[in-house]
Amino acid sequence: MRRQWALLEHALGSLRRRAWRHVALAVAVALVVGVYGSALLLADALRGEWRSTLASVPDLVVQRLEGGRPALVEVAALAEVVPLDAPGVRSAEARVWGYLFVEALGANVTVVGGERPLDGALAAGRAPRAGAERPECVVGVALADHFAVRPGDRLAVPDARGELVLLEVVGVFVAASALQTADVLVTDDATARRLLALPEGRATDYAVTLSRPEEAPVIAGQVRARMSDARVIERDALVRTYELTFDGRSGLLSALLVPCLAVLLLLVWERLSGLGEAERREIGVLKAVGWETRDVLTARLWESAIVAVGGAWVGALAAYAHVFWLDAVGLRGALFGWSALHPPLELTPVIDPTAAWTLLGVVVVPFVGASIVPAWRAASIDVDEAIR
Amino acid sequence: MTERASAEAIGATDVAKRYFDGATRVHAVEGVSLSVARGELVVVQGTSGSGKTTLLGLLGGLIAPTRGDVRIAGKSTVHMRDHHRTRWRRAHVGFVFQELQLIRRMSLLENVLLPLVPSGGARMTHVERAERLLERFGLAEKRDVGVERLSGGERQRGALARALVLEPEVLLLDEPTAHVDAENAARVVDLLAEEKAAGRAILATTHDPRLADDPRVDRAVVMEAGQLRAPDA
Repeated sequence: MRRQWALLEHALGSLRRRAWRHVALAVAVALVVGVYGSALLLADALRGEWRSTLASVPDLVVQRLEGGRPALVEVAALAEVVPLDAPGVRSAEARVWGYLFVEALGANVTVVGGERPLDGALAAGRAPRAGAERPECVVGVALADHFAVRPGDRLAVPDARGELVLLEVVGVFVAASALQTADVLVTDDATARRLLALPEGRATDYAVTLSRPEEAPVIAGQVRARMSDARVIERDALVRTYELTFDGRSGLLSALLVPCLAVLLLLVWERLSGLGEAERREIGVLKAVGWETRDVLTARLWESAIVAVGGAWVGALAAYAHVFWLDAVGLRGALFGWSALHPPLELTPVIDPTAAWTLLGVVVVPFVGASIVPAWRAASIDVDEAIR
Repeated sequence: MTERASAEAIGATDVAKRYFDGATRVHAVEGVSLSVARGELVVVQGTSGSGKTTLLGLLGGLIAPTRGDVRIAGKSTVHMRDHHRTRWRRAHVGFVFQELQLIRRMSLLENVLLPLVPSGGARMTHVERAERLLERFGLAEKRDVGVERLSGGERQRGALARALVLEPEVLLLDEPTAHVDAENAARVVDLLAEEKAAGRAILATTHDPRLADDPRVDRAVVMEAGQLRAPDA
């Protein structure tokens, strides 16, 4: 232990003596980690967003098609369409929801009707109640920010006929569910019907929750048999679509970054393998005064590890700041291309430990290895030859 | 000359070093046998290229011989594995190189502490030991000064302090007075005499009469074309 401390102290002195060179190397490491880390952090954050979105998607969504487009379903027909007594079915409901274009926002708002518990989903406030004196609503964080409303404020939203409906904001969704709730407005069933001009007795679709999700294809088959014009969307199919689309893009981005990583590591290798005359002589002196090869290599290892880990930390912090504070400028387009999100989405920081270790393995380990090899070569030659 | 002590601290028997310089075979050292006892100060004289420095490297375990045996503190080092030989050398031999080999941009104290780093140990103890040496060598004021800002004499004494910091039995010096003025040369010779009196075996190469002719030198040998002979031979 004492030997390690002494060698570490020597390594720190050596870093100090060649400060500019080591700073330049740390910057190179920081650059590689920063670029690669940004891509990984952004990919992980987006993956986290869509996983959180899919977690709340029902196991089956049943739509009725008319002319190849989704049409309204009959609320009363729910029991006829969904085999509620089938062992795998836990519950089913006719949902009232739809898109409402809000000119002031320049985008669609997703209006969702019905009273449901929203515990844990709200950053502030409570769920809307039916029969309140004034219609109540809960809004996504992007809507709340755009209209600068908080629980207790009022929000005027035009209904399908263009008449303004005054809603009392009673809650705001948590930012972590932004991908899912950013443009959502949840209100009671009657208000939602009014906003969407959706007649009583009819609904947008049926949502089915299963107690055994693996039985989804069986239940879907039964639904299709009962309703010939049904389109049944299974949750697994959505997951596969997201994975194929998103992982393909993030994989492509990572693959594009590999050459950049390789080039930078090659530069580092080139920089390090050309051990200068002074350094070679210094290693010779150390051996001449009684240092063993392992002492030289250990000191060198400390030196490289400090530069690499220091650089990696700076790079990781820069990547974090780039993705979560600077909105992933430059990379956003590459990974967000699958959807135009309005209002804008704020990413929730997600750090995958596997990705962090991968980054460490891909950058820090080769860097340290690259510096050890020339030192080992210099430390292995005759002392006499090294110091001449 | 004083009476030669009986216990050998460092010795060589029929040692040779040959190497190729391009296609030419060079006999740098050929069949040298030598023994230096504790408390003995021996000088090796000879012209440039006579093989003095190579002999010093062979005796100090820095160069592997082509033939023969080298003993340090009673142990043959020729067949030792590299790391064993390094450890043995660190424990028993202090070396002062002709070019001194102090590391630039390090302070004098840091240079003197270098041999102590691999053995770890309490840092304060190390610093105190190094400081005592620097004080004795008149360098206490210069401990934190970068070696490139020291005078030739100060560097020479600093290199000697580094060689002595592990309190070795054997001190090997390559031209210790070559690049210093008369005053500093006399000071270096005085310090070597003190170390000899302390029981250290000292072998120094030189062609400086200020050292070679000093009455405190026990023995002088001459190196010529890689071979050793007595000065009067």
